[in-house]
Amino acid sequence: MTSIPTIASAAKLIATKQLSPVELTRDCLDRVRALDGELHAFILVTEERAMADARAAGAAIMAGRSTGPLCGIPIGLKDIVDTKGIPTTCHSKILHDNVPTADATCAEKLAAAGTVLMGKTATHEFADGGPSFDLPWPPARNPWNTAHFTAGSSSGTGAGIAAGLILGGIGTDTGGSIRGPAALCGIAGIKPTYGLVSRAGVAPAAFTLDHIGPMAWTAEDCALMLQALAGPDARDPASASQPIPDYTAQLGTGIKGLRIGVIHHFHEVDHKVSDGTQRGIDAAIATLRELGAEISEVTLSPLAEWHACGTLISLTERAAAYDEWARTRLADFSARVQQRLLMGALVSGVDYVQAVRRRRELRAELKAAMAGLDLVLTAAQPTEAPKIDEVPDWDVGQKPGFTMPFNVAGYPAMSLCSGFGEGGLPVAIQLVGKPFQEATVLRAADAFEKATEFRDRRPALSSALVAAQ
Amino acid sequence: MPELDDATLDLLLARSGLSPTQEQRDGLKAAYPHVAAMAERVRKPRGRMAEPVLTYGFAEEDLA
Repeated sequence: MTSIPTIASAAKLIATKQLSPVELTRDCLDRVRALDGELHAFILVTEERAMADARAAGAAIMAGRSTGPLCGIPIGLKDIVDTKGIPTTCHSKILHDNVPTADATCAEKLAAAGTVLMGKTATHEFADGGPSFDLPWPPARNPWNTAHFTAGSSSGTGAGIAAGLILGGIGTDTGGSIRGPAALCGIAGIKPTYGLVSRAGVAPAAFTLDHIGPMAWTAEDCALMLQALAGPDARDPASASQPIPDYTAQLGTGIKGLRIGVIHHFHEVDHKVSDGTQRGIDAAIATLRELGAEISEVTLSPLAEWHACGTLISLTERAAAYDEWARTRLADFSARVQQRLLMGALVSGVDYVQAVRRRRELRAELKAAMAGLDLVLTAAQPTEAPKIDEVPDWDVGQKPGFTMPFNVAGYPAMSLCSGFGEGGLPVAIQLVGKPFQEATVLRAADAFEKATEFRDRRPALSSALVAAQ
Repeated sequence: MPELDDATLDLLLARSGLSPTQEQRDGLKAAYPHVAAMAERVRKPRGRMAEPVLTYGFAEEDLA
């Protein structure tokens, strides 16, 4: 192939038998072999499983039994997602030898959709902390410049998709762990509404803030993956039982009249973004307006309010989830995660419940603010990716992020590439919809991507490799 | 900003069953004012009847 395909384009070629899943998988494995020594997107490459999946998908297609657009598509699973018979380490010494006996629901659903499992992707330890160099595996590197950070915690999935090692993958998002890596790696990632995608079999970070979702090169690809992932699951007590729409049905129908509120104060006052990121936001707003969207301004409580609420909940739920190991094996965690787990001791029970009461107020505030809107828009990250060795230790007093508000609210939120900053690395915007209105978010994101040229550009290391293949 | 003295930190850590290093203890003391500030932010005059957010519904197993 002369370029790295998207899921949608590969699916069309596979359906018309112009491309076989085996060829596609071999191309991806070749890129893994060539690039992953530098990127560290994978903790484990499951080559035998991938080829077996690809052959099975190919056979199904030849027999007229395709499982749909994901049949034969190479994907990766963040290594906090349980996989039956395949090590699932959570990128941690603690679970170095852990081999689950059952698949997580999301892994099971993607397998049933006919995907090809390429392997388990790097994460921040237990989806927490940051880029750690004191773990059994190195942190993933940003394919746009390998001296730079991917963001996290779905770091390997983000890097792997941007570099074309996989066409899609699973991310998880407790305060921005799908949208952060999507933003800094220049791909698309959607955190669905809380409860839409089952958390069963996925290691918790903070039970009531955890979301599972797709990451891919385009919004259209995310829609195809979400179709396979969404739906009720008796194994997840927070699973929602909403009807599942056709997420691709509205793609390409335009966004004329769509009402988008821009939360200017989030990224211009509460946490001022870099010039390059601001230019990307401004240009994106102009593009959406040209496409027919009605743009207005919306005001919410300052970011610090959302950050405080989400952080207190996150610290406490994480400390509870990992309490046993924190008491008995604290030194086996990375220094960053040790610090986070210890912080749980500083939050009282009353603090936690006040945060959960505040959460109800903030969610009601967002609902009221969006009453006359379809979407809201803000930044996804404050800057381009920083250098990986300059990422500070997590600082509880740091400026608040743009993604946590929508974990607090549980609303669907998506990061998509809105250009490139001064350093040549991607910048991104974030689109947020109402609960269970993922189809609207995806429609707007798809329209934006198709009206811009940012999906035509891949990291140089991948483009050079594909040209040589 | 409120500060965390050693005796209070000892109590919190003993209650949690955690055994940090001295460097980690220093980190916790440095972080405490920020945690206290966040706790203050979520403490609003909302009265006793204000409910927390409801995260979970009833699963099938609860209704069986």
